[in-house]
Amino acid sequence: MRFSMIQGLILAIASLGPIGAMAGSYDLVIDEQIVNITGKDKKAMTINGQFPGPTLHFREGEDVTINVTNRLDVDSSLHWHGLLLPYQMDGVPGLSFDGIKPGETFSYQFPVKQSGTYWYHSHSGFQEQEGVFGPIVIEAAKREPFKVDREYVVMLSDWSDETGEQIFSNLKAQSDYYNYSQQTVGDFFDDVKASGWGAAFKDRLSWGSMRMMPTDIADVSGYSFLMNGKAPQSNWTALFEKGERIRLRFINGSAMSYFDVRIPGLEMTLVQSDGNNVQPVTVDEFRIAVAETYDVIVRPREDKAFTILAESVARTGYARGTLAPREGMAAEVPELRERPLLTMSDMSMASMGGMDHSNMAGMEGMDHSNMAGMADMKGMDHSNMAGMADMKGMDHSKMPGMENMEGMDHSKMAGMAGMEGMDHSKMMMGASSANSDYAPGSGLAPEAANGGKFLVYADLKAQVPFANYREPDREIELRLTGNMERYFWSINGIKYSDAEPVHLKLGERVRIKFINDTMMMHPMHLHGMWMQLDKGNGRFNPLKHTVNVAPNTTLTVDVPVDALGQWAFHCHLMYHMAAGMFRKVIVEEAVVETAAQ
Amino acid sequence: MFSIRPLVAAFCLSALAPLAMAGGSHGSHGDEATPNIGQPGVAAQATRTVSITLYDNYYEVDALDVKAGETLHFELKNEGALLHEFNIGTAPMHKNHQREMRKMVASGMMTETGMVEMDHSNMPGMEDMKHDDPNSILLAPGESGELTWTFSGDAELEFACNMPGHYQAGMVGEFSSN
Repeated sequence: MRFSMIQGLILAIASLGPIGAMAGSYDLVIDEQIVNITGKDKKAMTINGQFPGPTLHFREGEDVTINVTNRLDVDSSLHWHGLLLPYQMDGVPGLSFDGIKPGETFSYQFPVKQSGTYWYHSHSGFQEQEGVFGPIVIEAAKREPFKVDREYVVMLSDWSDETGEQIFSNLKAQSDYYNYSQQTVGDFFDDVKASGWGAAFKDRLSWGSMRMMPTDIADVSGYSFLMNGKAPQSNWTALFEKGERIRLRFINGSAMSYFDVRIPGLEMTLVQSDGNNVQPVTVDEFRIAVAETYDVIVRPREDKAFTILAESVARTGYARGTLAPREGMAAEVPELRERPLLTMSDMSMASMGGMDHSNMAGMEGMDHSNMAGMADMKGMDHSNMAGMADMKGMDHSKMPGMENMEGMDHSKMAGMAGMEGMDHSKMMMGASSANSDYAPGSGLAPEAANGGKFLVYADLKAQVPFANYREPDREIELRLTGNMERYFWSINGIKYSDAEPVHLKLGERVRIKFINDTMMMHPMHLHGMWMQLDKGNGRFNPLKHTVNVAPNTTLTVDVPVDALGQWAFHCHLMYHMAAGMFRKVIVEEAVVETAAQ
Repeated sequence: MFSIRPLVAAFCLSALAPLAMAGGSHGSHGDEATPNIGQPGVAAQATRTVSITLYDNYYEVDALDVKAGETLHFELKNEGALLHEFNIGTAPMHKNHQREMRKMVASGMMTETGMVEMDHSNMPGMEDMKHDDPNSILLAPGESGELTWTFSGDAELEFACNMPGHYQAGMVGEFSSN
């Protein structure tokens, strides 16, 4: 057993001895105990008495046996997130195996075929939220394409004083239960002052018809954000000597929270994502979706403390730690930045199908400047829009992506007498949006706090080009769908319990096209096989186990189908998964068809 | 472990600026005074030949000892799958050069695997962007090359790859003067 109880291990250089015949055996016990993380005693789930669970150190090429004992009074499981293994060892109850009954032990056995930073967590109920998760670090068999003097795991998580069951039932009963920053009646009157009665009212009307609110960035708040299980005031600290290169293995083990990560005063060179090496890219800040991992190298050249800051994307709080030459030091912790507000750009036109525009009167003040993604407006019926007598004030100048508007039927729009003043001259026809991962004009598109470089997915280029890169054999479209108000989350409008599995054939290459019709970000995770994130880098498209799909955007990934069995494919936001944003994927042998007519 | 050897040579750099040979010709340089880093040498007069293999993304060696006035002939081979550089300069020079390389990659005149043949003469701001410094050589995957350098002993020098991110990931070694 090689658990690191302390986080600050000095990187041991791989011994030069022969590899092979390595077999590690590990024992993990899932249990419950009282912990005090935020100053308040609360029952947590632990692994080997630790919260989060211990870091598992594997070696590429090792055959591991992991004996997991369940001391809870309910079924449990562990899933090895991102590992390539026989599906029976993947740890998803109902798909891989039956789960681990109370009091029982399950022995996972599989060969470790990869290296890098990963993690593990329960795939039963909401146990991950309550502590059943931990890091996995797999040492590479060969020299890595970078050079570091020390390394640390930096595991981010969200911690609630409520149980997962309580949170989920609150959400089901009232979806905005945790939206503490809802706009108030006071905000409404501010909007009226700023935009006039009509606009302020219409704005509320359209958000209402989406069953969303502009402050719906994350659906659960009231979280404390932890770094390696420590609350901000506990100040998790990593030591260094100036001039050293330090590898930080960031893992987002949150149930529901995305983070924007930065270390004021240091640039970060990102060298790995989701366990796969990428060509080094130097950034000032990056966003980490739930379940993603990013490894960065930093090199502090001064003998002083630096804050590692991970602000929740909804800016309800932060996880924080310190890089310091000595224990007990701290650097300034910057103020939380303003919370983002969703804009009309984050609202997919597809999901506006049900919007009733027939009573829209007095639209003179509407600002459409941030409406994006209107590539296909043909189907929009404006025939009942009445009373638009004076549209002169409408500013369409900044509407990008309106490539295909020729079919729009405005012929029956009554009373549009005064449209001559409309300025369409500056519409960016099909212009690229500078590699952003968000819809143009999105309220969620991040910016670096120091005005510098914020990582985008297009920056991720595989270190080693994919050998069998080719066009996909076919494409599967998955629309990410949901209804916030009733807390339904689904794929193609169908929740897991009602859905047919996705059938794939061994050896085929399938393009998956995610279309996010909701107003939330969804971290989509495929078990057992890689997704090659397609941001136009061809054979350098990086391999990922989890990809973030932003609101009102389309993201494509190619899956080289290379693992038989049945696998889970789901949104990694825990309560979205529980609500049904989940599919079973079945991979079968390709059957050679006979020529029977 | 990767040792970082203390450099013995620490001279006043700015006073020697007029002797600078290899400031580079990328244009858009910073204004820092260029130190005397030495000059291109003649292979036949080299005191030593040093063979270095370049990998993704590191050099076979982490440090080299050189003496003031010594001429080294470098035989370089890129065994990686990506484009790499072997560039002799000070840390600030490398930093400037990284800015230029980023620009070249962003503009499309260079990719992760090689230079792209194109005419830049009409591209505003890019007229003098080229990669032809005497203190540097770029090697495509599988490519070999040579470089001969006479060391002045007057500057703290590193050999480095300035492809975006490579230096920060550790593709840099030190020349130490003993």
